[in-house]
Amino acid sequence: MASVSANFVCSRTSVRLPNQMITSKSLRLATVGWGRTPGFPRLSSSRFQISCAAKKETVDKVCEIVRKQLALPADKEITPQTTFTDLGADSLDTVEIVMGLEEEFDITVQEDNQDNISCIQEAADLIEQLVANKS
Amino acid sequence: MGASTKPRLSGMQLQVLALYRGFLRAARMKSPEERSRIEALVSQEFRRNSSQVDRKNYLYIEYLVRRGKKQLDQLKSPETVGLASLNVEASQAKTS
Repeated sequence: MASVSANFVCSRTSVRLPNQMITSKSLRLATVGWGRTPGFPRLSSSRFQISCAAKKETVDKVCEIVRKQLALPADKEITPQTTFTDLGADSLDTVEIVMGLEEEFDITVQEDNQDNISCIQEAADLIEQLVANKS
Repeated sequence: MGASTKPRLSGMQLQVLALYRGFLRAARMKSPEERSRIEALVSQEFRRNSSQVDRKNYLYIEYLVRRGKKQLDQLKSPETVGLASLNVEASQAKTS
């Protein structure tokens, strides 16, 4: 199996390899299921979404809602890394914020996910994940 | 709870937060003006308790959580249209 995957990586860069491969018996690309589209293996895109950062407009929307819920003055700066406790929110406020986000994005956050959210970036990432799973 | 990393919430704190969440979810199902009243009342009650009740007073907290759960069940039923509270203060009787 190791030889097949190594060869696959090579084939992405240059397609002219198959001419040589047909002659040698040890490399059997025809049996690999990935051959339907020449080139990239098509992994499901949702796996990549989790590792990427959330979109800017999602983060902005989250900031808006947080501002409204905590009644922050307009000049108070919010970055994606700001934690809710930095903004003076206690755990009850955090629950309210998550509820507000649920309503805004029409998602349902599970109980065990709720406790992991401590900063704005995490909230935005979770929202993106749930929106992607929903659609 | 000023720790920069995520603070570990105790089991009791998680129960309280779950109860609070339950109230907010139930409030959504009522009419809009009732919903805002319920939310104001519940948040006021929870915050008052969080500042007044001693953290170590487990018995009282458990009692409050149990009572809250019963109230939540009542609120969830479709016949219940609202929530109200009375503040009874011990004051001098105004009898003449």
